[in-house]
Amino acid sequence: MSLSKLSIRYKILLILTVMPAVALLVYLAIALKVFKDDKVAYVFDTTSQMSSSIAGQLKTRLDNIVKLTQPILQDLGQFQDFSRLSRAFLQFDSSLQAMAIMVWDEKTSSYKVGPVLEKEAYGFEKFWMLWKGQWNPNLVQLFMNETVVTNPFLDDRFTLIQKIERPEGRPYLVVLLFQLSDLAQQFQTKSAQNFYLIQKSGKILLGPENSLGQNLKDTLPVRFLDLNKQASGSGVETIKDNQGANRLVSYASVGWGDLYVISTVTEINALSAVEILKRKSLLFLVVLISATTILSLFASSTLTHALTKLFEATGEVTKGHFDVQVVVESNDEVGALAQNFNKMAAEVSRLMLQTAEKARMESELQTARMVQETLFPAPRADFETIEIAGFYEPASEVGGDWWSYTRIDDHVYLWIGDATGHGAGAALITSAAKSAAGLIESLGFSPGQALQELNKSIFDVSRGKVMMTFFLGKLNIKTYELVYCNASHEAPFLFRKKEGPYKKKDIELLDQNNNPRLGQSRDSQYQETKIQLEKGDLVFFYTDGVPDIRNPQNEAWGEREFIKGLLASLNTSTQSYKALSHFCESFQVYRQGTTLADDLTFFIVKNKEESNQEVSANEQVSM
Amino acid sequence: MSKFQCKVDRQGPKLTLQLGGIIDEDADFAPLAINGAHEVKIDLDAIKSINSCGIREWIKWIGANSSAKVIYAKCPKVIVDQMNMVDGFLPAFAQVESFYVPYYNEDSGAEKNILFRYGVEFKEGQVQPPSEVKDETGNTMEMDIIESKYFKFIKSKV
Repeated sequence: MSLSKLSIRYKILLILTVMPAVALLVYLAIALKVFKDDKVAYVFDTTSQMSSSIAGQLKTRLDNIVKLTQPILQDLGQFQDFSRLSRAFLQFDSSLQAMAIMVWDEKTSSYKVGPVLEKEAYGFEKFWMLWKGQWNPNLVQLFMNETVVTNPFLDDRFTLIQKIERPEGRPYLVVLLFQLSDLAQQFQTKSAQNFYLIQKSGKILLGPENSLGQNLKDTLPVRFLDLNKQASGSGVETIKDNQGANRLVSYASVGWGDLYVISTVTEINALSAVEILKRKSLLFLVVLISATTILSLFASSTLTHALTKLFEATGEVTKGHFDVQVVVESNDEVGALAQNFNKMAAEVSRLMLQTAEKARMESELQTARMVQETLFPAPRADFETIEIAGFYEPASEVGGDWWSYTRIDDHVYLWIGDATGHGAGAALITSAAKSAAGLIESLGFSPGQALQELNKSIFDVSRGKVMMTFFLGKLNIKTYELVYCNASHEAPFLFRKKEGPYKKKDIELLDQNNNPRLGQSRDSQYQETKIQLEKGDLVFFYTDGVPDIRNPQNEAWGEREFIKGLLASLNTSTQSYKALSHFCESFQVYRQGTTLADDLTFFIVKNKEESNQEVSANEQVSM
Repeated sequence: MSKFQCKVDRQGPKLTLQLGGIIDEDADFAPLAINGAHEVKIDLDAIKSINSCGIREWIKWIGANSSAKVIYAKCPKVIVDQMNMVDGFLPAFAQVESFYVPYYNEDSGAEKNILFRYGVEFKEGQVQPPSEVKDETGNTMEMDIIESKYFKFIKSKV
């Protein structure tokens, strides 16, 4: 398996960098919005206070000037001219420069300059001559608003015009001429924040350079001036100016005439701190993400390095290199995983070796089985007067049972034995027994002599660790004389020829002697017995594996069923190989393919009633 | 599968061994030294099976006894079969006090083990089985053995 394009290292890297970056950006956006809102509120609050403050200052100045003129006007009413006292009052206020009474001239149907009170050398006459051109618009405004405050020459010289009603005739107009140099300076000061003194018409009376006399609405369309009703005393607005820049505007009514003090500041300037914060935050974010990336690279490298090694190791395993080991460098989960991998790989390696060894042993056992099969005779034989049919099946690849027959002249040696246990060890002993048996047969020994010699051979080979039960019969096929010797083996069953079916009581045991097992003691003596058989008699030889055949429920077939099956088979056919085949079928039905608990061996030797045809020794018994 | 078990009860010169389970190559007889006792009674009632390796171990163990009188008691069929078949499994110095004989009724399928006791159902060279053995429903039962084979050890021990 190959790695995907986005490896776990980059996934970790993405998680460790993108997530905090997104979180920080979201936090930054929220923080900036809150900060911006707060800053805007702060700017509005500050500029509004300043506007109100300046408006208040102007109102106070105007209030004081007007109050100062009250006794002068009373004095004027009393003496029809300004008295010396009035002139003294005029000196009290440094800003008030002159005071003139405008009276209606019936002849010219216009107001003309009446009594004038002025500080020395001020030159009201000259001022009037210059101002006269703007007089009529002021009158209109005066009659509408009762009081007019303006600076006709857009400098620090202001006029305040009030009308004084008379019982008859047109009202007098009181013109106060005063200078507000210090106040005017506040409006001219250059800063991020601009202050304007405007009339409701939008005309700028005081303000930064180049703005005087212009209409504020042309550059800044403030909404409060367009309201039909009287604008409230103060307020704030956010306006987009004619250059497209947002401006924060706060205004305050002066309270005299239609004057307003306006403060404006561009949003960019007002929120410059926000921009600084944003830039610094972004810088901090970049630094943080960079640091996180570096740390993530380090952390992911540490993690993925171990995982990569594990990945490479698993790749080696898939190629069959099970001896691969991963160096464990950490005590965390990855380290534990590496340890477990090492254990697993070692275990797999061990199992592979074990499997290979097992395969080798199985192969050897198969070979051994093939070799052992050569130790057994053909399962069926016919020697003129007797017929033999046998069956053998080991419980594993090789077995500890052995049976054989050999004709030597007129005698046939009939062997059946069972080594202790089963498997390879037992099979080796049977091989040794077979080798010795061949030699013994050629020497013409009687069964007792034969087993005595065989006992010595087995004892010398196994040293008492493996023993064999054995039954050896030597049958004269001419006379049917049988000499046998039993070395603790299951006694064969002799069935004498009879009319009718065999029954359990017909079983005769060839148990007239019993001797120690072969290999138990080197000097054991073996007795033998001679009996006479007749035509038609048969002998059934078997090992203890027959009653120990198991069914799938692990229940042994048992002696009772074994005997019943055997009797039924013998009663089925007088031919030994057919009876044996029937017997095989009966226990296979019980067994249902269950693995044998012990090696299974049996054979039948039957004396023919008549000598007849030879049966091919190669013909196989049907199982 | 039940492992080989042994319970030892020593009362003076008399030693009683209660054996159970399976006698096979794993059965350890080493702790069961019987030398020194005058009489050893081996209760085999709980023995389930014995294989050829177990027989080898048994003969090695029982053959090591030199002086004690050994008594086999309550021998199940698996033990009786070995006594009959394997030379040395029931040595000359050993006697059988009692053994079980399986009975069977062909019709009902009932099985029963009847304990044959020395002096009652058998003695040297003779077997005197109960005149009649019946199952739970009163059916007469027959011996489920080949008598000549099963009682051979009695006839051979004179």
